[in-house]
Parts: sequence; structure tokens; C-alpha cells
Amino acid sequence: MGFKQWFDGENDMLLENLHMNRAFEDHIKKEPSVQELKIEDTILMREVYDDSNKALKAFNWIYRVIAVLFCIGLALVLVYTVSNLPEVGNPDTPANSSVVSKRYIENGLEETGATNIVAGMILTYRAFDTFGETNVLFISTCCVMILLMIDEKILHKYKNIGEGKYEPKDDSILQVVAKILVPVIFIFGIYIVLNGQLSPGGGFSGGAILGAGMILYANAFGFQNTQRFFDEKVYKTAKITALCMYGLIGSYFYIMGANGIDNHIPLGTPGAILSGGIILPIDIAVGLEVACTMYAFYALFRRGGL
Amino acid sequence: MEMWTNIRIGLGLLVLIIGILFFLLEIIGIIKYKFLLNRMHAAGMGDTMGICLSLFGLMIINGLDFTTAKLFMVILFLWFASPTASHLISRLEAATDEELGRHVRIDIEKEELEK
Amino acid sequence: MMQVMDSILTVILIILALLTLVCMIKAVIGPRVGDRIVCVNMMGTMVMTIIAILAIKMKEGYLVDICIIYAMISFLAVVVLCKVYMGVYAARRERIRSKQRKEDVEASANESAESTMSVDGKQGDESKNGTMECSEKEAK
Repeated sequence: MGFKQWFDGENDMLLENLHMNRAFEDHIKKEPSVQELKIEDTILMREVYDDSNKALKAFNWIYRVIAVLFCIGLALVLVYTVSNLPEVGNPDTPANSSVVSKRYIENGLEETGATNIVAGMILTYRAFDTFGETNVLFISTCCVMILLMIDEKILHKYKNIGEGKYEPKDDSILQVVAKILVPVIFIFGIYIVLNGQLSPGGGFSGGAILGAGMILYANAFGFQNTQRFFDEKVYKTAKITALCMYGLIGSYFYIMGANGIDNHIPLGTPGAILSGGIILPIDIAVGLEVACTMYAFYALFRRGGL
Repeated sequence: MEMWTNIRIGLGLLVLIIGILFFLLEIIGIIKYKFLLNRMHAAGMGDTMGICLSLFGLMIINGLDFTTAKLFMVILFLWFASPTASHLISRLEAATDEELGRHVRIDIEKEELEK
Repeated sequence: MMQVMDSILTVILIILALLTLVCMIKAVIGPRVGDRIVCVNMMGTMVMTIIAILAIKMKEGYLVDICIIYAMISFLAVVVLCKVYMGVYAARRERIRSKQRKEDVEASANESAESTMSVDGKQGDESKNGTMECSEKEAK
């Protein structure tokens, strides 16, 4: 009897009064606003799931059946495709047999100095494409700022409007945990950015981690405390500096290379942190850019200002 | 030396299997209970203990390496983050559930709950 | 011993994949919002365990970096979702409460106006009837 009650969740040996099925309704009287909410919800549900409309019921049933079949079919197709992939290192796969990839694989290490061939390829051989991607990040935040940004003085006056007034602020457990975890996240983000040329990582993923750390800080402590070290001026400076640094280093690299002059950027020993030529400074620039983008999207959509 | 390696691998596999058992109990708890606060309790405890024991077992299998240090860092991060997630979800439930009086016996004042 | 370890790890991977599927079904069914947040967190944790087991099995050390990233992202998702949903719910309740307060104030104002009119008495009624008869004649 005792074990079955414990297994059903009705009784606990350590706390004696954990009875689940008694109703204590006289403790809490129902407020009229709560009842109004429930009435609104039931009216909405009755309109959406109208029981007298036969066509709607048939459509709902068909939709659910087709959805489940589609998901199962997609899963089977993907499993079949993965089991038919060629083995890693097989010399006659399509990726290995074109001239371009042969050059990358055979001469990649000595020409770029990076043990991670993918990072070496996208940041040395095809650095111009990556510059275009970084530009796209810059332009997208400019567009979002045009559409959503409100001037800071007006935002101060209307601080208590909308849903921001009712959100819970200053949760003390979350603040203590954020104080411990946010430095860990920042250090890990910097580790991923600096290790672009040695192991999977690089500027884009490291920047996303740094942005996530900033978002956690802003959630735990509020926007006022975050603006002490990251407001609009810092954001603009960081973004424009990062993009211009990428542009300058990249153009020096191309102009020297196109005219046949030797650019005196040392390649270093592969496997050390200070190696890979232009990969390390470009990684830092891209990481800074992506972190600012992530935080700016979050702040602009939530609040209308940085 | 062969024997010590085998014993170490066997011990690591044992701890890993206990961790997976915690995950199974968590899934049973989620399906079985009727109220959300019970399910959240099962999920929070099963999550934390399950992954920490599983990663500890993998650390024992691997021996001393850089990968082991990274796994230890994951365990430390999850030790702090997973219970905080449970706290936030229970706070959400207490603020939005209208029929809280029927599920849980509350011994505090009504005004303090509705803040 | 290594073959035994490999086969046991494969069986554990299959079990974890099935548990993730059950979690997803519960996330679709679950009647409340908190159910879905809990199940998404759980799916992230189980995927983390799968990645760690794969990292040990294939002896590639860099896959553990992905585990830390998954932990951070799922924790951040729970924090932001709880905050936003609490704000939305409280705003809805406040809107309904203020609407009801306005209706209460109007109802009490109407009651006080009716009581003053009944004190005036028949004069008010007669003047009202007179004006209404005139307007009906004009309409005809």
C-alpha cells in the first residue's frame, strides 16, 4: 500500500502532507478577470474547432494523417540517403575527383598554414565570398535599425508601456547563476574564435556564442545595467571597425597576390595558435561582427533600442 | 596493464548505464503524471542526474586527456543551469495557472501569490 | 573488450534516439505551454548525451565543443521563453481588469444618475413625454 501510493505521487515518506487530490478552493477565490480570460479562450476554441462544420472536421483529420505520413516518409528517405554516402577517405568520390578540390586538399596545408582545411579555404582561397557574407550581416542590422529603432529620449519617457511593464524583473536565483555562468560563456566563445584554424570553430560560431552570453546577461540584469558597457556608441564603433579591418587586410592580400608581389605575412608552424597567415585577424573581425549582430537583433525586437 | 584497462572500461560502462536508467525513469514520469508541476519535477531531476552520471561514465572510459577536461566543464555548466530552468518553469506555472488551488495546497496569503 | 564496448554504446545510442522521439510526441500533445518548454529542454539534453557518446566512440575530441554550445542555447531558450510568456499573460489580465473597472465605474455612475432623476419626479417624465410626442409628429 505504501509503495503504490509513493509510486502514484500521492504520498512521500519525507514530507508527510503531500496529498494531491484534495481541493482547497476556499483558499483562493476566483477573480472575475480570470474567469473572463477563460471565457475568451473557450470562445476562441469553439470558433476554431467548430464541431458542426463537417468540412472543417474532415479537413483536420486528413491534415493530421498526411502530416504524420509525411514526417515518417521524410525520415525514411533521409536514413536511406545517409546509408548510401561514400566512405570517408575513398579516393573516387565526386568531391575528390575535380581539379580544384585536389589542389585544396594536396596543397592546402603548405599554402595556408592551417590544419583545418575548411577554415583555410573559406578565409584564404575564397576570402572574397566571406567578405560578402559579413557585409550581408552589416546591411541586415542597418535595415532592422531603420524599421524598428526608437530614439532613446522618447524610449525613456514611455518606459512603462506595453508588455515590458509586466515582465518579472530581478529574479535573484537567475542573477546569482548568471554571475557565475556568463564569464564562462565569454571565455568559451573567445576560445572558439581563436581556434579557427586548428579545429572546427572559427569566427561565425564563436561570435554566436558571444552574442548568446550578452543576451543572457541582458535577461538577468535588465537593459539599464547592460547599457553601462554596451550602448549604441560602442555598438557602432565595434561594427564599423570590424568590417573595415576585414576590408583592409583582405584588399592588401589580393592586391599583393594579383600583382605577384610577395606579401610578408608569416605563415607560422601549423598547429600553433599564431599561424595561418591572415586567418587569425579575420576570424577576430568576423567574431566581433556576428556577436554585435546577435545582440542587436535581440535588443531591437524586444525593446526598440540598443 | 590489460586487466586494469578492462576494469576501468567496465566501471565506466556501469556508470553510463545507470545514467541512461535515470533518463528512462524521467520519461516514465513525464507520461504518467496528471499535473504540470509533477512533470516538471521529474524532468528537472532526471535531466540533471542523468546527464551528469552519463558524462562521468564517459570520462572514466576515456582516461586522462584534454577531452576529459572538456567533459568535466560540460558537467559543471549543466550542474548550475538545469535546476535554474526548473525554477523558472515553476514560476511561470505559478503565475499563469488559474486553478492552482485545486492542484496544490498553498499555505501563503492570496496577495503574495498574485504578485 | 573494445568490441563489447562498441556494441553496448551502439545499443545505448538506439535507446536514446527512441526516448527523444517520445519527448517530441509529448511536446506536440502536451496541453499547457510549460509542457512544451520542458520537453524541448529535455530533447536538448538527450541530444547532448548522444553527441558525447559519439565523440568517445569515434575518438574525435572536438565534438565535445558542440555539447557546451547546446547546453548554453537550450538554457537561454528556457529563460527568454518563460519571461516573454509571463509578460504576455500579465498584460492580458491587466487589460481585462481595467476594462472591468471602467464598466464598474460606469455602472455606479448610471445608478447615481438614475437615483437623482427619480428624486426629480414627474416633471422630468412629463417633459420627456412631451418632447417625444413632438418628434413622433414631425417624423410622421
